[in-house]
Amino acid sequence: MTQQALAGLRVVECGHMISAAYATKLMADLGADVIKVEPPRHGDPARTRGPFPGGTPHPERSGLFLYLNTNKRGVTLDLQQPDGQALLRRLAADADLLVHNFPPPQMAGHGIDVDGMRARNPRLIVTSITPFGMTGPHRDYEATDLTLWNAGGVAYLNGGGPGADDLPPLKAFGQQAEFQGGLNAALAALAAVFARWQTGEGQHVSVSIQECVAAILELTFEFYPYMGLTASRLGQKPIQPVDFLECRDGWIFVCCIEDHQWDKLVELMGTPEWASIELFENRLTRAANWDALKLFLQEWAQTQSVMDLYRAGQARRIPLAPVSTMADLLASDHLKSRGFFAVIDHPVAGPLRYPGAPYGFALTPWAIRRPAPLLGQDNQEVYAALGLDSEAVRRLSDRGIV
Amino acid sequence: MTKLPLEGIRIADFTWVWAGPFCTLQLAHLGAEVIRIETNKRPCTTRTLPPWLNGEPGINRSGYFNQYNQGKLSLSLDLKEPRAVEIAKELVAKSDVVCENFAAGVLERLGLGYAELQRVKPDIIMIALSGYGATGPESHFVSYGPAQVPLSGMSSLTGYDGWPPMHVGISYGDPTGGLHGAFAVVAALLYRARTGQGQFIDLSQQETSVAVLPEGVMDYTMNATQPPRRGNRDPHLAPHGVFRCAGEQRWVAIVARTDEEWVRLARTMGRPDLADEPRFAALAGRKAHEDEVEACITEWTSSRTPSEVTAALQAAAIPAFPSYDGRDLAEDPHLNGAGFFVRLEHPEVGALQHVGIPWRMSGTPCAVRRPAPCLGQHTDYVMGEILGYSSDEIQRLRTEKVLF
Repeated sequence: MTQQALAGLRVVECGHMISAAYATKLMADLGADVIKVEPPRHGDPARTRGPFPGGTPHPERSGLFLYLNTNKRGVTLDLQQPDGQALLRRLAADADLLVHNFPPPQMAGHGIDVDGMRARNPRLIVTSITPFGMTGPHRDYEATDLTLWNAGGVAYLNGGGPGADDLPPLKAFGQQAEFQGGLNAALAALAAVFARWQTGEGQHVSVSIQECVAAILELTFEFYPYMGLTASRLGQKPIQPVDFLECRDGWIFVCCIEDHQWDKLVELMGTPEWASIELFENRLTRAANWDALKLFLQEWAQTQSVMDLYRAGQARRIPLAPVSTMADLLASDHLKSRGFFAVIDHPVAGPLRYPGAPYGFALTPWAIRRPAPLLGQDNQEVYAALGLDSEAVRRLSDRGIV
Repeated sequence: MTKLPLEGIRIADFTWVWAGPFCTLQLAHLGAEVIRIETNKRPCTTRTLPPWLNGEPGINRSGYFNQYNQGKLSLSLDLKEPRAVEIAKELVAKSDVVCENFAAGVLERLGLGYAELQRVKPDIIMIALSGYGATGPESHFVSYGPAQVPLSGMSSLTGYDGWPPMHVGISYGDPTGGLHGAFAVVAALLYRARTGQGQFIDLSQQETSVAVLPEGVMDYTMNATQPPRRGNRDPHLAPHGVFRCAGEQRWVAIVARTDEEWVRLARTMGRPDLADEPRFAALAGRKAHEDEVEACITEWTSSRTPSEVTAALQAAAIPAFPSYDGRDLAEDPHLNGAGFFVRLEHPEVGALQHVGIPWRMSGTPCAVRRPAPCLGQHTDYVMGEILGYSSDEIQRLRTEKVLF
């Protein structure tokens, strides 16, 4: 049988919440052997975030945790105690990669000693995901996903709207700064594994989440160095219609970037008389007169059904997109035919549909081998591999270390 | 000599606009030789969009293109010419990876599909990043970056409380797809290093966009419902918001992660009465009275600058940061001190500030090695040094507008 792309890669993850966990999930789902290290008793705080079935919190039923930790083995270890840190050093001595997201002021207190670990295992790659990087005046700033999405400049580009300039910059749903940190960390860490193929040496990889967010500002950042301007979430858009319209059964997004797409949309609407007036002549004048145009379009859209309009538009090569609800995604024939959602059975949470493969590898498929670990599920197996017998593990457990 | 992680890897880059170029940007950052195949006949969309240096348009003057194509080379080749398709195949034969983000089927029609490229380079790795993926009933649909945000479900979850669905401010599906794609390419390179085998990777931006929405999807698969739009609020933390400061459109993000942080926040605001207010002592109470809590914070922030608020709260170990705009980022001493920005001399726009690489590597330090290419800037190098054409042949192909 063909192996998965990352089979044989040994990863230790000391992650809380999203960034480190997503980085190592990407690896685990391609075949890496990931050992997730969680604090004893309560485990990763992602276990407390949900969503939960029926809204009832339960550490083994958090949708976020279940999703982020597929294909991993799980151990508990108190990294704030010296004996816990000693065990982490032994895990790191056997690993290719250690990924963590403790901020710099908390690293030493959790046994993340990059130089010491690398002295013992020169092939080890330590990956640190931090809010603001490993140096500089903001290094030790307290941060959350919301403050980092703002620190990276994306929040400032969203929100407000006509008559609502007093509303604040608006975050995207979920914890997207964390996901960006995790994606960049996975990429850089895996590139370091590739480099080791040639050099034989491990190294320290550090990722700043603020920088990850600032790296995705599209065309907006360069307005300042190129033209001395700052992009704003307010005011008129450069091109229209690129906006949301409400249909009788939901919302649709109209994205007529090119004039010929608008012409096709006018055709689709039955070439109403108002569409030919000069104010709506090209994409720039449509933007300048968007308030008026939107009223016309909205009046038409409200009689339409989202999916009928989507298909009729796409048949004419008009870039329309439904504003998908979660129900729409799960019901999508397209995603079904691609087998995107994966049913994963978990001993406590039961069988559930999860977002599945984000890419299709023709030869070495993305695959689910096991669901997310129960808290401390693999303590015996993992610690036995380090040479601890069950009695030794029990003694550590009595002392609250595992 | 220090090596770069992907040194010696060559990428034939047929991508355009943002998702694909963002993918190959990462590979260039990591040291790969990325060669863009592009043509004057139909230049990359981002070459035709602002911002332009000093507002003057020009094919090599767009900050959008110059940001996301740093470190790459440009070969001008008009793939509408049959001879150009042969040259593209010669380049693929000398490459390790092919990246493309045309609509499904476009490269096949040009005779550059995976099966054909595998014939000229049996261990080639090829990634296609498309809006909907290479298979499925909607695979031929038109997809633009901004439309991926609503299509993926992000918009139905994003917005102010009680408001319609909203956007997120950027074409978020593009960088998310591009990063997943770059990760997949490196994984495929590792597999090829072990086994000698290349492969085809099918990436759908819709799917990589859904991959970062587990809190929405899992709520539906567990409860047949989805989280309401909550603005900047969070179900598990309060306060959790972006607050108005002194000045025109100046804002600061503030979060209290624990009851203790709330007490410190209240005291830092000079409001011991709020710190002692029993209704606000626990998370549930602050959630129940969140409008009131937020109004108290706004009262304090609205007469202060974002920097003043941030300095005061960080001194009390409370997460806070200004909502940065482009200028704030460009001038930020921390980011500048960290060496995040890149200023390399470009033949037409000079040494302007661009966003750099968000990671540091101690052993194989990555750096942006060259500015974004002018269109066709490296045609002679690619045709001569890599593909072995003589200067006479190159001149003839230019005259015939194969190289154009």
